[in-house]
Amino acid sequence: MEGENALIRHDFEFRGSGREYFGIWIVNLALSLITFGIYSAWAKVRTQRYLYGNTYVAGHSLDYDPSPWRILIGRIIAVSAFLAYSVAVGFWPQTIGLFYIGFGLLIPWLINSSLRFSARNTLYRNIRFDFVGRYSEALVNYVIWPIVGYVSLFLLLPRARKARDYYYINKHAYGGRPFQTSFSTGRIYLIYLGGVALFLGLGALLVAVSAWADAATGDFKTVPFGDYLGFAVLPLYFIVYTAAVTFIDIMVFNLTVNHTTFDERHKLASRVSPWMVTWIVVTNFLLTLLTIGLFYPFGRVRLTRYQTERLSLMAASDLDEYTSELSRANSAIGEEVAGFFDLGIGL
Amino acid sequence: MIEGRYFQPRSARFSPARLSRPEKRMLRLEGQDGALIGEFRLKRVRIRERLGNIPRRFRFPDGGMFETMDNDGADALLAGTGRGASTLDRLERSLRWVALSVVIVVAAIYGFAAYGIPLLADELARVTPPNVITFIAQQSLKTLDGRVLSPTTLKPEQKAKAQAILEKAAKHGHLPLKTYRLVFRNAPHVGPNAFALPDGEIVVTDQLFPLIKSDSELEGVLAHEIAHVDRRHGLQSIYQASLVPAAIAVMTGDASQFGQLATLLPGILLQSSYRRSFEQQADDDAAETLKANGEDPASLAHLLLRLDAKVCGKTGCGPSWLSSHPATIDRVNRLMGERKP
Repeated sequence: MEGENALIRHDFEFRGSGREYFGIWIVNLALSLITFGIYSAWAKVRTQRYLYGNTYVAGHSLDYDPSPWRILIGRIIAVSAFLAYSVAVGFWPQTIGLFYIGFGLLIPWLINSSLRFSARNTLYRNIRFDFVGRYSEALVNYVIWPIVGYVSLFLLLPRARKARDYYYINKHAYGGRPFQTSFSTGRIYLIYLGGVALFLGLGALLVAVSAWADAATGDFKTVPFGDYLGFAVLPLYFIVYTAAVTFIDIMVFNLTVNHTTFDERHKLASRVSPWMVTWIVVTNFLLTLLTIGLFYPFGRVRLTRYQTERLSLMAASDLDEYTSELSRANSAIGEEVAGFFDLGIGL
Repeated sequence: MIEGRYFQPRSARFSPARLSRPEKRMLRLEGQDGALIGEFRLKRVRIRERLGNIPRRFRFPDGGMFETMDNDGADALLAGTGRGASTLDRLERSLRWVALSVVIVVAAIYGFAAYGIPLLADELARVTPPNVITFIAQQSLKTLDGRVLSPTTLKPEQKAKAQAILEKAAKHGHLPLKTYRLVFRNAPHVGPNAFALPDGEIVVTDQLFPLIKSDSELEGVLAHEIAHVDRRHGLQSIYQASLVPAAIAVMTGDASQFGQLATLLPGILLQSSYRRSFEQQADDDAAETLKANGEDPASLAHLLLRLDAKVCGKTGCGPSWLSSHPATIDRVNRLMGERKP
């Protein structure tokens, strides 16, 4: 217990503003468009660096420091590979199987290389993060486990999610020291059960409302604007779906982060509310639609601020002793190819 | 002289420090007490561009790092050296440049959506090899046959009559007569419908025939489908369906949860607007064919009204901006307008 008492809590803080981010986003987007996408690698670094650079914990901010050239080269390779795929499959449809096998074998490498690129280009207090997963481990945790999850008719999907999160956290390091997470499988099953119950419960409620609206508007118009009620219920289904998916994502994120230690001494804590995230995501979506997209950067800052400020570091020391054991950053190809094909890597 | 923090080489350990530029191409780093930590040639130091108000960082060749919150001070320190540029930062803060960027982005999005994607899809459809088109069409028909379509129950004389009408309409098509092939299918779950496959097959469901009151009505439908084949609308839709998400991914630049949700709907709306313009083109072509054969373009309109009443009932089929076809009333009015030459 003596270790527990010595922990000092540092809350994460986000100091960026939507107004500032809007200017950065729109100017860089315009530059990307007038250079036919070539500048987009620089735009990506700049917008990401703004979000990282405004994320503070214990008086220091994160830094995102990749070479845009590497990202550009990665993008060129990704686009070329996609074109080769489209042309080949267009002219020789029978080659499609070969492409899928080749791509499947590439996935573990893409995942590792992408996670490594992000980690090694993220710094805190002059020290880089690192990711040290191997090909075979990525194959098991990011490819085989998800397949098992789906083949088992979703019964093992929570277990697969646990495998992925363990791999993600436990292979990250900072200053040569490991991150480590460990939690029971039962906890993650409870969360998935809660998400499914939420979806079915709210879904049943909506179906009941729709049925009532249909009945009420049959021959006698007992409900004003009854004709439109059916349509009005439609967006609610999206909200219910978003709420259920967000519930699972956020609760698993909290679970994982709350059981994560760094260097076996420091702890992390997360108190993100799935309801608050659902509210922010849905209202951001509506405002973005109403402003033909111009609200997007404000929404991104709003969500980032909320999620960041619900995180804490429970530090056992002042972190002065960490030193860098890394010097060379990995290639960006992995991250860019993964980004292009939308693998959506991360917690 | 700017105040900040100095991190020792490859270490998280830091101490308060000050940075100055005593000579034009030399930076001097000293502790709070004025004791020299190091002197570095300016060109060997990696200096980040200014960005918002995030800390400005100077990375030294030995792995040490100086960071400061004093961005204005850093700009003043570096003035005239051409290093640690803040040009972009000035654009991002300037109301004028931000406004100009909004105009550029909106114009680019509009231009790409209104002209870029349709042109690109048209060009791709034009260069698609015929064997690929056949492959795609056969695959689609095979998929449908296994699920919603079953063998026709029409009598041979009905089929022969329809074939004769097709040949009459196909005289005004752009392609050789044998390109257009009638395919009859029973489709109880789909109901009255007709659609064209990109290789020239025109599928007509048995359920359409009871609604047809005259030969010119069927001719209108077939001329409409022939136009879809001639103008490669099916192939273009396939290309548009993959170009729209790709374009949106480029715009937002990230695939966060929020981004996906927010971009789904505009994509759907954009694609259905492309489809509606295809339908309008096909209606116009069909009206031309009917007129050229000495028939009334309004006959297609009459059939559309009957179809609408059958499929959608009294309440209608929902708002037109969501559907792939223009509202029937608009199509009917347009066809009626074709009546008087």
